[in-house]
Amino acid sequence: MDMKIKEKIAFFFTSMRNVFSFFLRLGLKTKKTKIFYLLSFLPILMALIIKFSQVFSNGRQIEGIFIFSNMIMVFYLQFLILILALFFGTSVCSEEVEGKTLTYLVTRPIPKPAFILGKYSAYTLIVILMVAVGVIFSFVILNVDNLLDFSRYKIFLRYMAVLTLGILCYSSFFMFIGTFLKRSILFGLIFSFGWENVVQYFPGSTQRFAIVHYLKSLLPPSSGGRFSFLLFRLEPSSPGMSIFMLFLITGIFLVLSCVVFSLKEYILDD
Amino acid sequence: MMPIIETKNLSKWYGNVLGLSDVTLQIDSGVTGILGPNGAGKSTFLRLITGQLKPNIGTVKIKGKKVRNNYSLFSIIGFCPEQDCFYDELTGWQFLASLLKLHNFSNDEAEQKAQKALEIVELSDDKNRVIRSYSRGMRQRLKFAQAIAHDPEIMILDEPLNGLDPLGRRKIIRLIKTYQREGKTIIVSSHVLPEIEAMTKKIILIHQGKIFAQGNIHYIRDLIDTHPHIISIKCSHSRELASKFIHEDYVLKVHFDIASNSLLVETNNRDKFFSQLPSVLIENNIKVDEITSPDDNLQAVFDYLIGK
Repeated sequence: MDMKIKEKIAFFFTSMRNVFSFFLRLGLKTKKTKIFYLLSFLPILMALIIKFSQVFSNGRQIEGIFIFSNMIMVFYLQFLILILALFFGTSVCSEEVEGKTLTYLVTRPIPKPAFILGKYSAYTLIVILMVAVGVIFSFVILNVDNLLDFSRYKIFLRYMAVLTLGILCYSSFFMFIGTFLKRSILFGLIFSFGWENVVQYFPGSTQRFAIVHYLKSLLPPSSGGRFSFLLFRLEPSSPGMSIFMLFLITGIFLVLSCVVFSLKEYILDD
Repeated sequence: MMPIIETKNLSKWYGNVLGLSDVTLQIDSGVTGILGPNGAGKSTFLRLITGQLKPNIGTVKIKGKKVRNNYSLFSIIGFCPEQDCFYDELTGWQFLASLLKLHNFSNDEAEQKAQKALEIVELSDDKNRVIRSYSRGMRQRLKFAQAIAHDPEIMILDEPLNGLDPLGRRKIIRLIKTYQREGKTIIVSSHVLPEIEAMTKKIILIHQGKIFAQGNIHYIRDLIDTHPHIISIKCSHSRELASKFIHEDYVLKVHFDIASNSLLVETNNRDKFFSQLPSVLIENNIKVDEITSPDDNLQAVFDYLIGK
């Protein structure tokens, strides 16, 4: 490879790393992150309440892994990762425009795509950490009696991987809409709780137009439990196809975000 | 010789609103002042030459290279925005060091440069406080620091003296003059003539998005000096003070306001009036509460000049 191209690529990745460390440090300090951390701790609280009520009740005990699966289906997959990806993904660009801090970034010697990808990586990592903390603690609390049953860890890891893929994919999509729409949150809410919630239940191949279809296709076969109606009408894609589609969607929206951010003119209102 | 900054027919609209119209300029090293009232198009011009905005018509070049999306140019440009905008959760030190790391400086280099810049703007003692707790003047100095920290060849400063106390202003003005002596190119915008006058003799007057006049400060001063100025003085003996000035040929009108115990003087030679005022006040033992110049805003001067 030509030396100049190699240097340019190295420069790009160094810039991306610098942006990543800047926004990882900043992102962990913001009020928004603290509030969403509290929200992501709700399942831990729920898990504690359930466990305590089980300890003090004499009725039939429900399996911890069963409750855990329900929690992932209802709270994480259908709600939390969407909300977190929406607020962090759209803010990659929009918080810089609204806070007028964009001016500091676009007057630095960094390629604009390196800024977008670096900040996306930082915010996505923050969201993954937030979700992981809640998921790990809920899992441990609910399965405290069976922590030596290693088959449960397999299920746990599979759920964690699905949630991570979901965060990557949704964040890239929401980042893209944040780069060109002023009211990106409103559009994101309509997409999350309108489109995604409805289209996934359409019969045939139409449901493949929802990201959540591919995420649900990757869930362990025993998923759902009491909330198995959430898998109603799911005609799952193969795991390979689902993973490919999730990475493809993520890649497409990352590229589109970089292109829009490089070409669009952001006017910071006085 | 190639100019440092060159614009050709630069025009910018925001919808139906004209931001800048047909600006063709060449800016060389040294300090160039962009002077104009609020909303004249100064910030639009500065954002266009830093590539933050896309011109509707025309071109901008810095050192012969196009600016927009040419990120490598920003290693030699420092930009101080007008808006009071920060990452408020960071400390002054973190803010500066983080921005310097975006210039690809190593950690050590970034920290050294951040420390130096903080010392220059006298914020070293407060560097570990979060920016949210900074006063307006401190925030302004920090904004200035991020523009100079990487030692750029070209500094583009949008209203850098806003919100500073007189001492802070003097310090920044002195710094700008030092950078000028080092051969740097500095563009400073302001809506206050004396501020610009203190920094440079090269001035570009901008009004309603157009370059209204351009040249040496003396030419612009001459234009402005023909404009009568109104000066308001609140003092203990306004009638007595008026009697001392009424016979002067440079005083055109005197108006009393008994209720507020003030006096309005209209003069066609502001400088002469202000040079004589202190001695008159001392000789007659007149106590002054306030001196303002309601007409001494650029908008009034521009309106007068355009009317002419």
